[in-house]
Amino acid sequence: MAGLELLSDQGYRLDGRKASELRKVQARMGVFAQADGSAYLEQGNTKALAVVYGPHEIRGSRSRALHDRAVINCQYSMATFSTAERKRRPHGDRKSTEMSLHLKQTFEAAVMTQLYPRSQIDIYVKILQSDGGNYSVCVNAATLAVIDAGIPMRDYVCACTVGFVDETPLADLCYAEESGGVSSLALALLPRGGQIALLQMDARLHQDHLETLIEAAMTACKGVSKVLDEVVRQHLQEVSVLTGE
Amino acid sequence: MLQSRSKILHLKSCRGRKVRVVREHYLRERVSCYSSLCQADCANDSKVLPGDLTHYMVPDAGVVADYLEILEFRELQGIVFTQTACQAVQHSKGRRQYSRIRNLLKDPRHDCVLFANEFQEYSYCAREKGESQEKWQTRCVYSAAVWYYNHLAGMINIVMITEDLDAVARYSSLNSGVYVISVKDYLENFWEQLRAAHELYSSLSQALQEKESECTEREYTEHLPAEVLGAGVKSGRYIKGMLEVSKHHPQNEASVLTHGFSNKKTDVSSSVLVCDSKSRNRAVHGDVVVVELLPKSEWRGKVTALTEGQGEEKNGEDNESKPLPTGRVVGIHQRNWRDYVVTFPLREGNQSQSRNSQRILSVPWDRRIPKIRISTQQADALQDHRVVVRIDSWESTSLYPNGHSVRVLGRAGELETEIQTILIENSINVLPFSDAQLREMPINSPEKPWSVDPAQVLERRDLRESHLVFSIDPRGCEDVDDTLSVRSLNNGKVLELGVHIADVTHFVKEGSLTDLEARTRATTYYLADRRYDMLPAVLSADLCSLLGGVDRYAMSVLWELDAHTFAVNKVWYGRTLIRSSYQLHYELAQTLLNGEQVEVPELAKLDTKEKDAKLAELTQALEMLRLVARHLRAQRDREGALELEGVEVRAQLDEERNITALVPRQPLEVHETVAECMIYANHWVARKIQETFPYQALLRRHPPPREEFFSELVESAAAKGFTIKTRSNKALADSLNQAVDLDDPLVNRLLRRMATHAMSQALYFSTGAQPQDQYYHYGLALDRYTHFTSPIRRYADIVVHRLLTAAIDMENGVVPGKALASNKDLEETAQHINKKNRAAKRAQKLSTELFQCLYFKERDPETEQHCVADAVIYSIRDDGVLVFVPEYGVNGPVYMKNRENQVVAVGQDGRCEWQSGSVRRHTDHITTTSALGTSSFRLFDHITVRISVHSSRHHADSLHLDVISNKPHHSAESQQPRSQGHRQLVQEVVRQAEEAHQQAQEKAAQRPKLSKEEREFCQSKTPNLYSLLEEVRELALMDLQTSQSYSHYSKIVILQ
Repeated sequence: MAGLELLSDQGYRLDGRKASELRKVQARMGVFAQADGSAYLEQGNTKALAVVYGPHEIRGSRSRALHDRAVINCQYSMATFSTAERKRRPHGDRKSTEMSLHLKQTFEAAVMTQLYPRSQIDIYVKILQSDGGNYSVCVNAATLAVIDAGIPMRDYVCACTVGFVDETPLADLCYAEESGGVSSLALALLPRGGQIALLQMDARLHQDHLETLIEAAMTACKGVSKVLDEVVRQHLQEVSVLTGE
Repeated sequence: MLQSRSKILHLKSCRGRKVRVVREHYLRERVSCYSSLCQADCANDSKVLPGDLTHYMVPDAGVVADYLEILEFRELQGIVFTQTACQAVQHSKGRRQYSRIRNLLKDPRHDCVLFANEFQEYSYCAREKGESQEKWQTRCVYSAAVWYYNHLAGMINIVMITEDLDAVARYSSLNSGVYVISVKDYLENFWEQLRAAHELYSSLSQALQEKESECTEREYTEHLPAEVLGAGVKSGRYIKGMLEVSKHHPQNEASVLTHGFSNKKTDVSSSVLVCDSKSRNRAVHGDVVVVELLPKSEWRGKVTALTEGQGEEKNGEDNESKPLPTGRVVGIHQRNWRDYVVTFPLREGNQSQSRNSQRILSVPWDRRIPKIRISTQQADALQDHRVVVRIDSWESTSLYPNGHSVRVLGRAGELETEIQTILIENSINVLPFSDAQLREMPINSPEKPWSVDPAQVLERRDLRESHLVFSIDPRGCEDVDDTLSVRSLNNGKVLELGVHIADVTHFVKEGSLTDLEARTRATTYYLADRRYDMLPAVLSADLCSLLGGVDRYAMSVLWELDAHTFAVNKVWYGRTLIRSSYQLHYELAQTLLNGEQVEVPELAKLDTKEKDAKLAELTQALEMLRLVARHLRAQRDREGALELEGVEVRAQLDEERNITALVPRQPLEVHETVAECMIYANHWVARKIQETFPYQALLRRHPPPREEFFSELVESAAAKGFTIKTRSNKALADSLNQAVDLDDPLVNRLLRRMATHAMSQALYFSTGAQPQDQYYHYGLALDRYTHFTSPIRRYADIVVHRLLTAAIDMENGVVPGKALASNKDLEETAQHINKKNRAAKRAQKLSTELFQCLYFKERDPETEQHCVADAVIYSIRDDGVLVFVPEYGVNGPVYMKNRENQVVAVGQDGRCEWQSGSVRRHTDHITTTSALGTSSFRLFDHITVRISVHSSRHHADSLHLDVISNKPHHSAESQQPRSQGHRQLVQEVVRQAEEAHQQAQEKAAQRPKLSKEEREFCQSKTPNLYSLLEEVRELALMDLQTSQSYSHYSKIVILQ
């Protein structure tokens, strides 16, 4: 099979979306009772579970504590059954470590850590099924979990990947597109202020195109934030009905 | 809103394991239908199917895969390709077939659209458990057809065509208005009159049937899979390149040219030899192949002996050059199969293979192509016809490729057939302009004369009154695309030079049908007796042509030059309105410059006083122009401009009379004057567009030649005691100027000819695709160059005009309405034009050879004076020499040794005869030893040859040269101006052809189809002056034909 056509002449992508269309996003908050906050999020066929503990005292060595803000501890892992071929090692490999670091950086920018000095917030994310855009799905799921835990944030953090094909930015890449040799960019955004929490790209791209690509990514993130906002409001409504307020 | 479904696929992973893959699949309600009948406001933004058809046709996946050629007929309208079918083709037939569909869909001349049926909520069908892929595809296509019918509210019938007879039975009565029939029924019911389609169908289906009954014995090794090839090339284990089969030894010698392909650096310089057909492994001339080098011990050399092309296996070990890298083909990256012209072999007696008789090995016209096996029942009827075929496949079990016939060209040997053969062999496809294209053209008829648009007058700079504009062209030229003006300003301190070029882009809008057609043709094709225009005649000969005394739109470049230093003060580019005052021809202009009295036709009616004033004005302008051109020329000469041809023309003026006679035109200075102005305009336009669009300007570069190609030239020159320096263009030009043998002017001519052969070709390119130091034009010694001055006959100039317009707009702050072509698109266009130019030149050369053959065919070589001519030896081979016949501009081999091992022996009076003996080759001469003694032939010796025609059933006729004396040939004929000889030649051949044509028309009742074709393709039957000039030019420049860079000035000079 000679090179998949990622964007047809009529503007359809492999899975039938148009260039700027996102995959279907579905989410639930408060899936576990034991943790302080939890959320489950599906973006197309990528499914992630996020759990938040904290803020609590620093565990382990005390020396890590910061006197003016909370430490954020992230751990990313992929279920062994999340990919087409069974994974040997669910976490701790280089990719996961890097992803954990990225998540940590993202949430340090979003969570109001200065409210909790000398404490720690743990965010655990697990990919249950992987179909592209793992980082952004993790960020979106973790945002919901953090909100569920009641930890104040500056804004939702929404993330999205964008690829560049035939001079057109493609929003929210699926696995087939990601592996098709597209130069892709992941962006985490605080949508209300338009601040970028994290931007990551490790492919070659002409400088002239970067602006359009970032522009498209920001639009996509705003789209995601709308969905997340709805999920949160829905959840709150349900909770308030339950508690009878 | 979108609906999401999951699709489960089973794919193979890279390690060969089966993997379950889940993919999402989104469906939507609104999918564009691209029909003008649409009631639901679909977003039909591109090509739309017309509503006035009787039906729309939806081909099944199998039909698209196997019968795409039939769907390519432009007569078939209203084709709806489904996404399912296209994807199936992409999977089963590969990218090439798929891109053919895409081109079809993009081409506005074809009435077909793509419907994304798998993304439409109601036409999508999920594949059921246990359903075979073919069945599922058919079901999808059918459901798309039903959707179409319902979507268009039943206003038009839908016909689905399939080769699956079960499907016909199952679906045909399911829905009224949606018919399911087979391809054969479809063609018979709807396109009964389209004979060509029917023929194609039967030949295709036959070829398909044959394919199923293949034997299984393996003749060739299998090709490696694409991934292995890709990885191998990357790691440097394999080498990728274009396979080029040797013209002289097509059976067992081919080389893979690696130049221009991304190979890892290896020790292989530029080509890899591929020796026999086993190691060629089913690759055909022109394919991009991947080769593996053989161990050094198996390397072989090229055969250096002259053989007669029939590929007779010689015991050639001792005749080989030193071993070259040799390899074998392990895989094919891309097939570049085109249409081939073939003839059927003679049926030997009646002992034909009775049962297999419909499978025939046909012999291609091009020797480099292997025999093609086709199935046909018409073989007997078409015994001596030429037929167009296409190759379908070449399995490893088959010795020869399988193909099918497409159409019949005509009887071999007839002029029309041969000309069509030449066109097809060069992939030149020139149909007459279609009605839709002609409808786009402005009208200029006596009833409705075309006039200048007042809105345009306001937009353009009006030079009608302010400038004296004139054109200088050959006599009788009708497509004038350049005019000149010159005047002095500021009391003679400043000279204003102007070049005004026909504004073709005003009439040919980007993306219009005419533009597309012009892009496909890329150039006007000049054959020996006719031409095929790039633009319709109303533009090329009338509205775009800058004729005298009428208002015309132009694109102008105006320079303000310092009158003394000729430094450029200011350049102005823009659209103008001009009225050419004088339409001069070269001879007239030269007479005016010489100060002789002559009648200018434009002034004939005026009285004497006014006439004198006007004449003085014109002469002054011409003199000024000459002054400027001389200066420009000198400037370029200092930079090292190579003017092989220009020098040659001058040299002939100084030398003996009989050589001058070779060139029909007097090489006048005014030719050069005009050419120089055009080069200057091209150069400045190149500068402008390159500066404005650094990454997407179309320029023309002429890469420096490779040193090793000069070795033959240097050796030959050394034989005469000349040294040729090839370090730079200036050194080469100087040393060629010195290499003049006073006794024999032909020596210099031949040396220049060899130098020209060594040159690389000038090429169009997009500036973004090359580093800046590659922009250099070697021949002209200019850092940037492009083509701007002949938009009527070259598409590149049209592109450059558009770029220049955009550049001017940008300067004036106007945002261009349409985005410019990107670097990628432009590079693609440039490659296309380069390819077409090469094809045009080859076709021109072949047609000239054809005419030469036809001329000599009529003559008996033993008796006719014409067939004996003087020839000069310019190269030595193992068993013969290569000679050039100046009288006819023919070059070819002369054998010193024939099949019976006899050699040429020279008798007492110089007469040559065949005697048994031996041949010995030395660096600068060849000696034959026989009973009559030893005789030798040196480089640049003049000998007498007899020209005869070597006829061949399957291939083009070729001229055969036999040495009859080792003395120069002197006869009354050779003193006669050659131009006449050639004019005679063309006229005579055309006359013969016309007689034949008349006879053919008399027989028209028996062969109506053939004469119809003849009428269709023959644009100009009688040789007008234009084509004659063209012919003469071609012959005069035979030696320059490989180097476009030089001949284009001559084109500027002679053609316009």
